[in-house]
Amino acid sequence: MKEQDKPFKNGDKPFVFRGKYLLFIVLILYGLLFIGNSQAAQLALQKSGKTIVKIVPILLMVILLTSLLNFFLQAKQIARHLGEESGGKGWFWALAAGVISHGPMYIWYPLLEDLRSHGMKDAFIVVFFASRTIKIPLLPIMIDYFGLTFTLVLSFYLLIGALIQGLIMEILQPQN
Amino acid sequence: MDKKQTKRSPQRPTFRKVLQKSALSFLALSPLLLGIIGLVGLFQVLVTPKMLAALFKGNGVIDTLIGTLAGATAPGNPVVSYLLGGELLKQGISLYAVSAFVISWVTLGLTQLPAEVEVFGGRFTLYRNILAFLFTMLIATLTTLTVQVLT
Repeated sequence: MKEQDKPFKNGDKPFVFRGKYLLFIVLILYGLLFIGNSQAAQLALQKSGKTIVKIVPILLMVILLTSLLNFFLQAKQIARHLGEESGGKGWFWALAAGVISHGPMYIWYPLLEDLRSHGMKDAFIVVFFASRTIKIPLLPIMIDYFGLTFTLVLSFYLLIGALIQGLIMEILQPQN
Repeated sequence: MDKKQTKRSPQRPTFRKVLQKSALSFLALSPLLLGIIGLVGLFQVLVTPKMLAALFKGNGVIDTLIGTLAGATAPGNPVVSYLLGGELLKQGISLYAVSAFVISWVTLGLTQLPAEVEVFGGRFTLYRNILAFLFTMLIATLTTLTVQVLT
């Protein structure tokens, strides 16, 4: 197993900014676009700015949620609820959390990374991401566009599919 | 009683400390998050809905594959995928392709891949995305077949 594939402990690591190279590459891309088509680059910057404004409240909520989980649940308890010994309860929580989670996927990376370092199974992260396709606030819009039958059938298969993906992940990447 | 208190204090940090630690771990990830947000902004401008709609060929199987890939490339709110999906259906694109497009819009993200690798590791990201890709096509096919049987 590669070093980067191992769950790591946040608390033990010194503070280091991550993703500097990605940010650098993206800045270069913006620079190139500014040279080639400054209007498009300005529009892309505006859109990115709007995204930041939109996700800040969700980000603050996720920070608070991470803190509350870490404050009220000890690492052992997290492992008990979401780790190897969690049983059916863990699968249910991963599925439910995915369905009710808001915002873009990457907003949840730090929380999931934290839970993973405390013993959360990789299979549950897969279930969480897969079940996020069902967006409760957006269901009325989906029904409006595609009909009730389509929405119900799709949601059913998405939930079953999320659980099967988690089970396959357990076989592909078994954890102790 | 006192013994208990002295035993507990080193184990349980104050909420303020826990909050500070969480905020710091998010701050450490801020270049990564800014990088993805910047990439999403670029894709939103450079990959237009018109371009995505033009990709579909009218062949069920190929369109399902194209729908999955197009959904994975397109960034933004899932509502946009519903709007686009509705338009594609009106244009005669199959429900297989549109379902795949709507599912992969959320479960697969080309722009998020670098961050996913950084946070969860290469192997996890590879497995998760292969699973999501295959299940997108499978669920799209099963959903369409079931809807056709039911209606």
